[in-house]
Amino acid sequence: MSPSQLLILVPLLPLLAALATVIAGRRLGSRAHLPAVFGIAAAAIVAVSLVITTARSSGGGENPRPVDMVTTLWEWATVADAYEPEAGSPAAVPGTAIGADAHAARPLSIAVALRLDPLTATMLAIITGVGLLVAVYSIGYMHDDPGYPRFFALVAMFVFSMSMLVAASNFLLVYVFWEAVGACSYLLIGFWFSKPEAARAAKKAFLVNRVGDFGLAIGVFLLWLTYGTLDFHDTLSPDGTILPGILGQTRLADVSGYVGGLVGTAICLLLLLAACGKSAQLPLHVWLPDAMEGPTPASALIHAATMVTAGIYLIARCAPLYMACPGALVTVSIIGTTTALVAALIGTVQNDLKRVLAYSTISQLGYMFASLGTGTLLGFTAAIFHLLTHAFFKALLFLGAGSVMHSMGGVIDMRRFGGLRKLMPITAVTFLIGSLALAGIAPFAGFFSKDEILASLHSKGWPDAHHAATGEHHALLTTPGLTGQTIHDVGYRGVSAQSDHALSSSAATGLDALNQPFVWQLLFWMALITAGLTAFYTFRAVFMTFTGPLRVPEEAGHHAHESPPVMTLPLLILAVPATLAGLVLFSTESLSHFLAATPSFTAPSVLETATPAVFHWDLAIQGTLAAALGIVLAAVGHLGRRSDGPQMERWLGPFRPFLEHRMFIDQLYVGLIVKPLEAIAFLAAMFDRAFIDGIVRGVAWLPVATGAVVRRLQSGMVQRYALAGVIGVLAIIVILAWRL
Amino acid sequence: MNLLAPSTHLLLVILMPLVGAGIIWLVGGRGVDAVRRCAVTTAVLTLLAAGWLVLRYLGSDEAAAGQPYGMVSVPWLTGGMFDIRLSIGLDGLSLWLFGLSALLSLTAILVSWEAITERVVGFYVLLLVLETAMLGVFAARDIILFYVFFEFTLVPLFFLIGIWGHDERRRAAVTFFIYTLAGSVLAFLGLVTIVLWNASHTGSVTFDIDLLTAGLAAHPLPMDAEGGYLQWLVFAALLVGFAVKVPIVPFHTWLPLAHVEAPTGGSVDLAGVLLKIGIYGFLRFSLPMLPDATAAFAPWLFALGAIGIVYGALVALVQQDLKRLIAYSSVSHMGYIVMGLFALEPVAVEGANLQLINHGLSSAGLFALVGMLYERFHTRSISSLGGVATRAPWLTVLFILFTFSSIGLPGLNGFVGEFMILAGSFQRAWTGVASSLEQQYLLFAALGVIGVVLGAWYMLWAVERVFFGASRLPPSHQTDAHAESLDLRWHELAALAPLAVFALWIGLTPNTFLQPPAETVRRLTRPASIAFADLMQPAGHRPSDNQTLTTEHPAALQPAATLATLPPSASTTP
Repeated sequence: MSPSQLLILVPLLPLLAALATVIAGRRLGSRAHLPAVFGIAAAAIVAVSLVITTARSSGGGENPRPVDMVTTLWEWATVADAYEPEAGSPAAVPGTAIGADAHAARPLSIAVALRLDPLTATMLAIITGVGLLVAVYSIGYMHDDPGYPRFFALVAMFVFSMSMLVAASNFLLVYVFWEAVGACSYLLIGFWFSKPEAARAAKKAFLVNRVGDFGLAIGVFLLWLTYGTLDFHDTLSPDGTILPGILGQTRLADVSGYVGGLVGTAICLLLLLAACGKSAQLPLHVWLPDAMEGPTPASALIHAATMVTAGIYLIARCAPLYMACPGALVTVSIIGTTTALVAALIGTVQNDLKRVLAYSTISQLGYMFASLGTGTLLGFTAAIFHLLTHAFFKALLFLGAGSVMHSMGGVIDMRRFGGLRKLMPITAVTFLIGSLALAGIAPFAGFFSKDEILASLHSKGWPDAHHAATGEHHALLTTPGLTGQTIHDVGYRGVSAQSDHALSSSAATGLDALNQPFVWQLLFWMALITAGLTAFYTFRAVFMTFTGPLRVPEEAGHHAHESPPVMTLPLLILAVPATLAGLVLFSTESLSHFLAATPSFTAPSVLETATPAVFHWDLAIQGTLAAALGIVLAAVGHLGRRSDGPQMERWLGPFRPFLEHRMFIDQLYVGLIVKPLEAIAFLAAMFDRAFIDGIVRGVAWLPVATGAVVRRLQSGMVQRYALAGVIGVLAIIVILAWRL
Repeated sequence: MNLLAPSTHLLLVILMPLVGAGIIWLVGGRGVDAVRRCAVTTAVLTLLAAGWLVLRYLGSDEAAAGQPYGMVSVPWLTGGMFDIRLSIGLDGLSLWLFGLSALLSLTAILVSWEAITERVVGFYVLLLVLETAMLGVFAARDIILFYVFFEFTLVPLFFLIGIWGHDERRRAAVTFFIYTLAGSVLAFLGLVTIVLWNASHTGSVTFDIDLLTAGLAAHPLPMDAEGGYLQWLVFAALLVGFAVKVPIVPFHTWLPLAHVEAPTGGSVDLAGVLLKIGIYGFLRFSLPMLPDATAAFAPWLFALGAIGIVYGALVALVQQDLKRLIAYSSVSHMGYIVMGLFALEPVAVEGANLQLINHGLSSAGLFALVGMLYERFHTRSISSLGGVATRAPWLTVLFILFTFSSIGLPGLNGFVGEFMILAGSFQRAWTGVASSLEQQYLLFAALGVIGVVLGAWYMLWAVERVFFGASRLPPSHQTDAHAESLDLRWHELAALAPLAVFALWIGLTPNTFLQPPAETVRRLTRPASIAFADLMQPAGHRPSDNQTLTTEHPAALQPAATLATLPPSASTTP
């Protein structure tokens, strides 16, 4: 089968599995997991084969060819002659390959088109791989639940939606599955719907995400109006001309193909808003901690490994758009780094093991955003690298937490159990491996990806140092005539020539002004502090849960035990990549070379920022020191102890309640947005009743009052009105006929 | 007479419910079961016949050529100058609404299966008469015939609300009737003025809609003081009539009242079909016949649509009665359609046209489900329900499905229409208005998108309170004595399943439903689009528009049918 046919199979198999579970779930009973497990397993095998195929066709090595294969399944919606590009608009100036009719009206044409490129293949492998392990784990975790078939149907449905999201080759299709994964998340968070907290958390997640979707919707409209298409890829019109897609080869090859200025920045910021919603970044992060009300395997799959990375995927995919807007890029980094720090701070005082991990997820996603915002090839690949390693070790940690919860009879408060290492040795060891990876201790996976992120931030903060080190390499990559000194500005200079396209204004340049070395230096230090905090809260959780004297809550009864093999096997399997993935992928550079063949990363503006992969000893030492300090502090405070001792209160002082209440952000939103809106709604309803309806009743009262005479004929009233109406109309006709 | 000729086929579909009503009248004495079975049989046969007709239309030459299909034109009141005809036919605009009427009539009958126990004969007779009226409205090609059917939809619904309604049924019925009758009388005045104006220029008093459209394109109603602002006045008269029907805020207060008091079957027809007649009227009469006034009013109506979206959503947010909440959500959703229609942008108008069907399916489904909840728990109060999902899982699944459809979740039908309407509105705001209006248009388009967030808020809030959480069912249902299944029964499933199937179908392959009406809708909107572009010309963004357009419309002057064959650029380059 051709790669494009194989690509269709990846979402199709889980979809069929979901349908099969819906139809036959009841009859399968305790075997209801079979369709989902086998469907996702088959999809995972296909996804791995796609990675290999894609890697082969990109050629590998230093200078990979861009690869994208697009399959169009069916035309979803078409509106003929929907849009006439103005003269000089970017939709009309798409590069070189367009025919003479650049200004002719073009259709709004949305095709269900899937694409295969290195970024998609990587994401598909992660989604189906983690999805498979989570599905297997759930066989044990969910085995007594009355909603057993429903759970597997939803998981399979989620794997389908998420695969479609990363394979879609059209912004509208991205929006479609952006919301579809949100709906799956809604249904899985609210899986135990009779728990009021779960129902509320599900609603909250959907609504906060809707705010993000608001950004995505307007962003998509602006993209349509700016570029006159929503396709990623180039399409061939019937008359033989090429209609360049937004992320197609034609536009990518064109140095002035992307809009900067106000419009470009607006598009990027709106997409960023969407990414903030899905990936739980400030200020839209509030839904993710609450989402832990869902079953733990769902948290591992959706709220740690895959769905929450959709925002990173979107920004990485739109890299060329962001490269045209330095102000938007630096905003991405600022939001990411701030989120990373804030979430890590809040994570240090959580006592619910799953919430610690939830804040840790928010924090690690913040790292990825920080890395994306540097706008360098290193930054983009580092973000995806961290996405990959994080998917493994965070899924491992969540499944480990689920194993603890399973054994503790549903209790997840770390103050109520301790010393579990003897009781559940496999869980303890694998959890420790995941924690080492998360804390960034060499040689575990997180160390390498975090190191690359720190390096990308460092290169923006201290550009001279990096230029000196890598100047020679640049000379190979850049066009003649550009000196090493200005290389970092090249991507942006191409834009400033552009901005006459797009209503340049001070608002956009205001953001651009943030793109200063000292800002990046600040962000680097914040990221480094976060690394220390990460190690601290991770090991605080490890010490509280697994060390000290054994203590088990009464809910667990007398049979607290290690989880069954069907649950520990996925833990053991995940422990392998959590240990080795970073080292292997970093030392062979296979991931960064592979990803570099993604069309989005082959735009000139991105390529110009390429630097050779160097291991930064200085950064590695700084990062490791920060992590070590965090672990030591955690050990001082919590090794062998079961609860937050007075140490934490002494250390944090009045700051502690502030952190325990999650910095009062939820309360702030309730006070500033929810309550005022409810008040306005209440006023609107009053207005509707008292004023508008009042007027109507006043008017309606007139004929009723005049009709009081005929009220004796109760049922005759209506006919009388009708008769009067007809007579009136006839009279008017006669008058009009007379006059004309 | 060839029974299978398209025209006979169409006539049969329209008359079939009426015949069924007659049969029900006759078998009324044989008990409730006979009446129900008779009504369902009639509705199913009508639906099958209508579906077959729709399929025949799709394959016909007339559809390809943009002509009305199955035309029947019989002189009716013809004498002297008057030439009123019984003239019916289907075209792209009426096609889906015609099918929707047949589909929802079956739904209305099935959901009334156990809800209606008194005066059963009268109830089903009225529902079937209503079906004929609804089918007739969309098929009429003569203004008088249209108006007759239009008025005829009011009478059965008035009695349905007034007799089988809830506590405040009388007030609801009278408000509904007065409101819509007042509106429709004004609309009729407008239509008659159009006829007379046309007659004064062509010499024949024709009531034929196509002839009138062509006639008014050739001799537009005057917009200036010299002509007495006649086009303004006529547009305003039609506006009142259709705005009440839609309803456009602030003419909407009859709607929640009527819905809350109406029996479920009446609500289904009202929300699903009758609200669409207003939009249908705009598309059939106002836009093609009064393009200049439409263009002048468009910014206001665009704004009113956007305000309606947010206003309806806000009021829905604080409702305690589930049915009232959905009624206000209808106000909000009809706001999208109004906004899309008066954006006068192809993407938005085609989206609005599709959204008519989408809203018909989702609101009918939701109203039917609320009725089923009421039958089980005898309350519609959101605060006294809770945890229904544990007792009635399939009912919950369907409610969530229609909720997702209503809040525009992709993959279901509502998303397609909402997306196209908002995309088209942004396009209008971005490229197609004078710079003085640009800010205002962008603001209102953004309001529309905010409505998407609010829509999710109130619907999911209701779902959370009613279906999720701990069981808070009324006392009568908490004891084990009532532990019998509260889930859907066969007739309820039969009522909802087709709606769910169409919701998915439209969501997955919207092109199947977008393409058949596209050409007709485009043709009906084009004069108003051109007029609007002219209005925006002095400060507009379109250098390609030629100045000659401001003095006369070369494209608009031609008969409508030939316009369809012109290349798209012909409308802007003389």
